[in-house]
Amino acid sequence: MRKDKIIVRLFMIIGIIVSVYACVEPDALQDSDYSEWLSGGSQTVFDNGVGAFSTAFPNLTSAREHVHGIGDGAFGQTFVTAPAPINPGLGPIFNNVSCTSCHVNDGRGKPPGAGEQLSSLLIRISIPGTDAHGGPNPVPGFGGQLQQRGIFGVAPEALVKIEYTEKQYTFADGEAYSLRFPTYSLQNPYTALPAGVMISPRIAPPVFGLGLLEAIDEADILANADVEDMNDDGISGKPNYAWNVVEGKMTLGKFGWKAANPSVLQQSAGAYNEDMGITNFIFPHETAMGQSQYDGRDDEYEVSDSLLHSVAFYIRTLGVPARRSADDAVVLQGKKLFVEGKCAQCHVPRFRTKTDVAFPEISNQVIFPYTDVLVHDMGEDLADNRPDFDANGREWRTAPLWGIGLTRIVNGHQNFLHDGRARTLLEAIMWHGGEAEQSKDFVSNLSKTDRDKLVKFLESL
Amino acid sequence: MKKSYINLLLSGAVVVSLANCSSDESTPAVNTELNAQVLTEFSTNLPQTVYGSLASKTSTLYDQVVALSTDGATDAELNAARTTWKQAREAWEQSEAFLFGPVSTEDIDPRIDTWPVNFQDLDAQLASENEFTEAYIDDLDDALKGFHPIEYLIFGENGDKAADELSARDLEYLTGLAKNLKTLTADLNASWQPSTSNSYYTAFVNAGNGSAVYPTQLSAYEELVNAMVGICEEVSDGKIKEPFVAKDPSLEESPFAKNSIIDFTNNIKGVQAVYLGKYTADGKGLEDVVRAHNLQLDSDLKLKMASAIAALDNIKVPFGEAIIDKPLQVQAAIDAIAELKEILDQQLLPFVQQHAK
Repeated sequence: MRKDKIIVRLFMIIGIIVSVYACVEPDALQDSDYSEWLSGGSQTVFDNGVGAFSTAFPNLTSAREHVHGIGDGAFGQTFVTAPAPINPGLGPIFNNVSCTSCHVNDGRGKPPGAGEQLSSLLIRISIPGTDAHGGPNPVPGFGGQLQQRGIFGVAPEALVKIEYTEKQYTFADGEAYSLRFPTYSLQNPYTALPAGVMISPRIAPPVFGLGLLEAIDEADILANADVEDMNDDGISGKPNYAWNVVEGKMTLGKFGWKAANPSVLQQSAGAYNEDMGITNFIFPHETAMGQSQYDGRDDEYEVSDSLLHSVAFYIRTLGVPARRSADDAVVLQGKKLFVEGKCAQCHVPRFRTKTDVAFPEISNQVIFPYTDVLVHDMGEDLADNRPDFDANGREWRTAPLWGIGLTRIVNGHQNFLHDGRARTLLEAIMWHGGEAEQSKDFVSNLSKTDRDKLVKFLESL
Repeated sequence: MKKSYINLLLSGAVVVSLANCSSDESTPAVNTELNAQVLTEFSTNLPQTVYGSLASKTSTLYDQVVALSTDGATDAELNAARTTWKQAREAWEQSEAFLFGPVSTEDIDPRIDTWPVNFQDLDAQLASENEFTEAYIDDLDDALKGFHPIEYLIFGENGDKAADELSARDLEYLTGLAKNLKTLTADLNASWQPSTSNSYYTAFVNAGNGSAVYPTQLSAYEELVNAMVGICEEVSDGKIKEPFVAKDPSLEESPFAKNSIIDFTNNIKGVQAVYLGKYTADGKGLEDVVRAHNLQLDSDLKLKMASAIAALDNIKVPFGEAIIDKPLQVQAAIDAIAELKEILDQQLLPFVQQHAK
């Protein structure tokens, strides 16, 4: 989806926003409230529809907008089996055929329905121990990610079966709710799976706003870390240091469900390689190398350096949708509950990005991502029991909440959490455990009216 | 630079806030009733009708493919299938002017209209002994099903395939593909029918009135206009410009039927249809809201739409040849569509933001 927005629209709508305040008491216009409408700072975009996550930063220069456009085009390209005149190099084993096949409308994936095959959900795998850099220990014959599809004549590594079991619960006020517990099993492996394989399902996350997240200063993230819980609030918050392939050293992980990826570039290169079987300068070898599916084609990168950089630039320069109804009375009450329930301890609302003279669009922006970019123990029910660098089997990165209220219009569903098991925002809250147990209990004890207010607040993000 | 930008912001804010705080007479008129009527009539006259036509054509195409497979294929049968394929494309390409809702969120678009085709695997499939059951076709990757593999099989590489060149395996695969296309387009058509559970029709017409998807009428209007902007940008910057800049006919999306320029034209006609609220039956459309307040904008929009369609019509050779031999005409079409995109984005969008809420 291609979208460029113009400054005229930006200031027009800011005008409308400001005018809302201008018509109420003058002292209601405070700097913090005012900015909060603009979740992405100057890179906030104003499309509330299906293109909400697909809109470029509003103030890119035309040269940079052109690069964004090239990346946009590449993001939508379908790869096919080599040799072919256009986009050759798919597989030989893969999860999907294009970036946009999983990140539909640059948004959130969903688990397959009954009888459907996996599309925007993939399975990471490993065996106990670590690799040379302290990361997950790849499964011999399978690697670190399961590819459940193959080009013609090539066996997929295995098929994935998902079964759900419903469990019933009640809120303190007696209203019932149900959570679906998934069970994952790997079937028809192309060769015997070793014993003790750990599996971690991961849904495709939205890809907007990542340039701004990447621009948060490491010191600002570490300021919220409290690994040993020294302040005794039951919430730790741990930075996950992961192997940075380009820099050749461990750096702070920010991306992915366990924050095990240090940069948008590496994340994109990894997705090309692992998800589609497209080799590149960061990951130059086919994922099937060393396996019987390997076709011996490691002769050239299947996506060029410049195209890979363009795709990373595209992702970095996707703007963040503005909030809707942020001044609504119910929304404001929901926000108060969000803070009272200590949700904001981890879903940290506000950061100011670092100064970056080389990338002015993401430099020095006040943003509202609602994440601390740290990993937290989320309890037994959410645990994948598969460590990923410093994140243990119970720890997950605090998911950014910006734009979450637009999931339904952009992606047509409300499946949340790392494997899309939650079917509503409220279910996602009620899955929280571990360090977030007290917050979940807080919500469980709310009246229905207050629960609705909390959800209204989330929908306004 | 930065400073002037902030000043712009502030002046924009002051101007708009003054307008908002002043008396009711000077605020832009928002006709909630007309707005609701436009959303309803759009839903019946565009998605319901266009997807209905698409589903009906693909159903006919399936029947014709079955006929091809029975008692030996004739050239007359093959030509009939080609004609129907083009008619189905017409409906589909016009529907791309409103590429939101189930067509996007239920992944129907990539499953029926992925380009390029994975020819290596397609040839391997035809050479194999795999049984092309409904489930098998449905499980295939996007680049092996939908409009374009069907196009390749019924038109042939040079667009001149004869019926007796269709192998038994071609026909088996074709039958599976046509069945799959029929099913997916029927699902798409059903998704906009009011009687379907989770009907998108219900969500759209009730925008701002309890809709689960559209909290305000404005959000539905923005969806409409942004979709029009999106397809113009896709046609000018993607479908036309990419093969043109690369001077590479292999990047053309519909080369076998030589149907690309017709596809582009139908994309723009779709934009026109959304604006007028008319595909076959005429109803209230965005046009009626614009005409109530700004006849100049209405006239400008219609002119830009007509110019874009005329510029495409002025390319008299197939697109794959035009990108080499007719650069002026191709560039003129890119420019005309870009101008249409600009007025939609910079004038119609701000307009609906004033006249819907």
